[in-house]
Amino acid sequence: MSTFRRGQEQSHPQKKNMIMSTLIVVLLINLLIQIWLLYTALNNALEGHPEVAYSTFIASFVLFVVCVIWLFFLPRK
Amino acid sequence: MSNENKHWKKDFPINRPESNEVSRRDFARILTFVSGGMVLGNAAIAAKAYFSNKETSSTKQKICTTSDIPIGGTKSFVLENSSIPYILIHTEEDEYFSYEQKCTHLSCAVFYRPGTMKIECPCHNGWFNAKTGEVLQGPPPRPLTKLEVILEGNDIFVKKNRL
Repeated sequence: MSTFRRGQEQSHPQKKNMIMSTLIVVLLINLLIQIWLLYTALNNALEGHPEVAYSTFIASFVLFVVCVIWLFFLPRK
Repeated sequence: MSNENKHWKKDFPINRPESNEVSRRDFARILTFVSGGMVLGNAAIAAKAYFSNKETSSTKQKICTTSDIPIGGTKSFVLENSSIPYILIHTEEDEYFSYEQKCTHLSCAVFYRPGTMKIECPCHNGWFNAKTGEVLQGPPPRPLTKLEVILEGNDIFVKKNRL
């Protein structure tokens, strides 16, 4: 008996491939933003503006949560 | 012992190329792990900034007298209980300025270039304004850390102010 998933994979064999690649690209973009946030926090803290580090920490944490949720939705196989 | 768990087959495959393979899910897991590291790094900066805020400004410290530095001259010194090098500059406009001698790019020693009113970092051709410490040119991302210079008669004092 055919299932919805099997039917989808038969009619769109590249779909899962596309989903995987897209999710990984989004993860990479999140990571690049986090690197930029870390660089900004460090530079501003050394320049005497430590309050910037608090907001970058919150933004970075939100992006990390997004990454974890994204990983959860990544196809298992 | 049961051999039901087949994970060992994945960890120790028969074919060599398979042992070097990183699946896209594994790669995504690594990215998420690195993302967590970024959060920890950011948290460390925020925590350090929060706790070091409570420090008060230091007392003033005598460095030398005005006759010790000619016009266009520089004097190196360190503050008490610190190993960070600083420089005191006597500019051509007969003013005194003091900065940390470490470039904000990669911590090379910076020097005052007499006659230009500029401080130079020779490592990567970085230039700073001798009056303000602001970056004029090159890769440094931040201005030089400035000390307050206090003149009392012929004596020159410096004082570090926390921002």
